[in-house]
Amino acid sequence: MTTSHSRDQRLERIIGGILRLGVATSSVLLAIGLAWSIRRPASGVAGTLMSAGLLILMATPVTRVAASVVEYAVERDSVFVVLTSIVLLEIVGGVIAALVFHQRL
Amino acid sequence: MAVTPALTLYILGAGVIAGAFGATLGLGGGIFLVPFLNLALGLPIGAAAAISLITVIATSSSVSAARTGQRLINLRLGMSLEVATAAGSLAGGITAQLLSEDTVRRMFAAVMAIIAVLMLRTLDQRDTFTGTAVDPGLLGGRYDDQQSGGLVTYRVKRLPLALVASFVAGNVSALLGIGGGVIKVPVLNAWCGIPLRAAAATSAFMIGVTATAGAIIYYGNGQIVPALAAAGVLGVQVGSWLGLRIGERASNRALKIFMGIVMLAIAGIMAFRGR
Repeated sequence: MTTSHSRDQRLERIIGGILRLGVATSSVLLAIGLAWSIRRPASGVAGTLMSAGLLILMATPVTRVAASVVEYAVERDSVFVVLTSIVLLEIVGGVIAALVFHQRL
Repeated sequence: MAVTPALTLYILGAGVIAGAFGATLGLGGGIFLVPFLNLALGLPIGAAAAISLITVIATSSSVSAARTGQRLINLRLGMSLEVATAAGSLAGGITAQLLSEDTVRRMFAAVMAIIAVLMLRTLDQRDTFTGTAVDPGLLGGRYDDQQSGGLVTYRVKRLPLALVASFVAGNVSALLGIGGGVIKVPVLNAWCGIPLRAAAATSAFMIGVTATAGAIIYYGNGQIVPALAAAGVLGVQVGSWLGLRIGERASNRALKIFMGIVMLAIAGIMAFRGR
């Protein structure tokens, strides 16, 4: 009981770090990109910065799910490896659905 | 729609206001941002929901990052229920591409009215947690409650119900661009034996993944304009930061009554105004 609790706290710290880093990086990129685009609306650099910011923002929760899969695998907690892997697959399903709607598949 | 500096600034401002009210009322910013983008700025409801979903990811991530270490977020419960919210979100994101503009707007109006009524009916929100569990079990939790000054231990009851509520919350989230916490939290607290604060923290934690599953569909389909989403995200981030600071001092009861009436009015406009 105590050990599984301390492991959960370790995972909580890892997740906190991932979320903090992801939000901070994306907010900086979005802010610079947005300021740039307001001053020079035709700039391509601004668009690239903002797209990168949005992709990092969307990748943040996905990364924390992936980190949980790894952490539960290290703990040999097969039930939670399966559950977190299903969540990852559902997100992959979203990517596939997007490509289908965009008729790239 | 042409992306002008003026439009991005309007969205930035709308994000601040939506984020501030959302954080103060505990509803999240999406419920206010979507109608503003749709009614005031004339964005299609799909584009409005898409921008809102992106802001929901940011809010969930920053709120949860700040909460880690307090053990309020129940990781195991959250990750179990995410299986259902992400499935719901995937289904909602796909349905959103198939439903007409009018249908989605009327659904938003209906959900907004329901949320307003629920908020007005539970002005003095009570924590219905009554358990005195000793062993939290596989999915339960234990945290130090600063308000009551004791260690709170709880077990999770009626897991299938929690999964169903999570699926519905995910579905509504992706379709309408809101977080879905307003659907999950009351169910988790009232029927599944989870203390209100733990339910709210766990829900806010799950919402990032839920919103991402839906947002990816809008993004991949080219419905997210980076400058508008960037303005929304930054505005809501600033707004929720302000809201959490103002909210502690403001009279919550009066604000809830006022905003409940405003939400009913907006829901009415959204339901009956054909664009």
